[in-house]
Amino acid sequence: MITKDLKISKLLAQYPQTINVLINVSSHFKKLKNPILRKALAGRVNIEQAAGIANVDVNNLLSKLNNSINNIPDETNFVNKIDVKTDAGDDKMQRNSFEIDQNKVVQFDVRPIISGGNDPLKLILAKIKELNNDEILLLINSFEPIPLYTVLGRQGYAHKVEKEDDVFKIYFYKDSTLNAAEGKPVTHNNDDINIADFENITEIDVRGLEPPEPMIKVLETISNLDNNTALLVHHHREPMMLYPKLEERGFQHFCTKINDEYFKIVIVKKKG
Amino acid sequence: MQSNSIVSAYAPPFKIVTKYFVAAIIDFVILNFLLMINYKDIAGFYFQPRTLAITHMLTLGWISMTIFGAMFQLVPVVLEVKLFSEKLAEAQFWIFTIGVIGLVTGFWNFDTGMHLNGSAILINISVFIFAVNMIGTFLNVKKWNITGWYLIAALIYLIITAIAGLLLSYNLWHPYIKTDPFKYLKLHAYVAVIGWVTLIVMGVSYKLIPMFTLSHGYSMKSSKWAFWFVNTGLIGINLFFHFKNNAGYIIISILFIVVGIVFYLYQIYLIYKNRLRKKSDVGIKYSMFSFYVLASVTIMGLAGSIFNTNTIPNFHILFGYLVFVGYLSMLIVGQMYKIVPFLAWYHKFSSKVGVEPVPMLKDMFNEKQALANYYLMTASVIIATFSFLFESSFMLLFAFSLMFLGSLIFAYNIAAILRK
Repeated sequence: MITKDLKISKLLAQYPQTINVLINVSSHFKKLKNPILRKALAGRVNIEQAAGIANVDVNNLLSKLNNSINNIPDETNFVNKIDVKTDAGDDKMQRNSFEIDQNKVVQFDVRPIISGGNDPLKLILAKIKELNNDEILLLINSFEPIPLYTVLGRQGYAHKVEKEDDVFKIYFYKDSTLNAAEGKPVTHNNDDINIADFENITEIDVRGLEPPEPMIKVLETISNLDNNTALLVHHHREPMMLYPKLEERGFQHFCTKINDEYFKIVIVKKKG
Repeated sequence: MQSNSIVSAYAPPFKIVTKYFVAAIIDFVILNFLLMINYKDIAGFYFQPRTLAITHMLTLGWISMTIFGAMFQLVPVVLEVKLFSEKLAEAQFWIFTIGVIGLVTGFWNFDTGMHLNGSAILINISVFIFAVNMIGTFLNVKKWNITGWYLIAALIYLIITAIAGLLLSYNLWHPYIKTDPFKYLKLHAYVAVIGWVTLIVMGVSYKLIPMFTLSHGYSMKSSKWAFWFVNTGLIGINLFFHFKNNAGYIIISILFIVVGIVFYLYQIYLIYKNRLRKKSDVGIKYSMFSFYVLASVTIMGLAGSIFNTNTIPNFHILFGYLVFVGYLSMLIVGQMYKIVPFLAWYHKFSSKVGVEPVPMLKDMFNEKQALANYYLMTASVIIATFSFLFESSFMLLFAFSLMFLGSLIFAYNIAAILRK
């Protein structure tokens, strides 16, 4: 059955017919017919994020997808409850009343890059690195780049979205309160993790697994992790007992609390 | 920054925790043996040397010993801090163990002089060490949660219980309590069972039960109501016990406690209802049995404080038996079936995951044997309940024999897990 954590790339590889479901839901997904874009984007976006991009309800989308492969979901209930809260967390970051000082804005329109069939992530991250502390990046795109919020949020960037017709304008700005508010890292050694240094992100979702299954899954995954890959773990609590084991193997972590039942932990190999 | 040392310090002190657990289980087996061979002495008035000895084997050697060990394991994980001192935990273990052996033998032989009082002092010292260790740990907590409140309150009641116990034991040596010492014995028992043990059980189960049943998406409001009601009731009892003509106030205090326990049980029901893991394993089965007994003893306690229950045979002894064996012991056995396999697995195998094949958690012990263990023990509790009510000492012998057998299987299973 299809779950919200399934990557779009895997979805399409396994069930090619689902592309039509996606296009029916939102015309944005037509881009997925382009093989280059599919390669670039679909591997990074899971169904939950895709639903966010298309601005449709994730459960609705899931049930459509599952129906199209003749499979009735039985675990979606669990998934749903968490979704509601996750979204609330994201909204909070979005809704804040940050005043955009137009003099400080650096504009970056990624639409030509995407229409050209290229992946803009590296260019965006490079732009972000070039920014001064008080400068704001204005990203212009034809869909909402939900996964980017997580990546940049981790670097201390909050975002504000404006929608004009079919164009999304997203302002990314340094927000020091992001570290004091709820969506902040609660843990210890986040000093020198820079997610942009890692080319790939592997994601696993261990929510709904019984101890010690989450630990086993994480430890098994990191034993195959190379130096350029960061692991993002979706967890239903902060895994205090996992940390010593990561330490043992030369990995460092940092944990972001989304709400009481949802934690995101990034795990990377220590440098040197 | 704080990085390395902090992180590795979260690793639970496996050796110390198992030391406490092993001592507790040995005590549990011995006490069940003693119950079995002394079954004739058990029914009847509760202030008897052997009953007192066995009661303290239950409350100190078994229940408190387990709680101490579990705290060293759980507090760092639940409150995200490092344990203040492992050395203190080690010192506490030996002083406490010697104190308990002394106290129990002191009661058994009713040697109420230096023997009993010296042991009571040792127990007070070990409780004091525990308090220092916990307060030292609490001071570093950055983010308090509901479980933390329960632990602090429980710690305060533990200290009151220990001091009250020492004063009572001194009274057996040089009687100085002018009024009725049984009044103070009751106070000691209330504060011990409700203040110390039950508050710990409540606070910890809010964390452990959802962890094992994978529950989420429920409100925790009831846990806060439970906290305030139980504590208000306990403070009431502690205050009013010193006054004359206090019966009405005591009943009101007990009512508060009863309402608090109802809130607690409702909270557990919410957690259980929202569980993802529908299959109940042996640990959860034990826990659920224990919660049913808790509900029953709450009703019994309320009835006992309002009505005259002297016409019901063995009412007090049955009440005590159900509290210590039916409710607390079954809960502990159940939680140990969950915690010990995990601890042993974590200690021995977690470092090898992904490097070499490791056993799964379910390979750590034989679930079928544990299930047989569950039926044996719960049957014993039910049979013992009827033997008390129908005053059948033969049935009681049968019930206690079942429990002794059950405790042996339990000890064998835990030993097998630890030796993996």
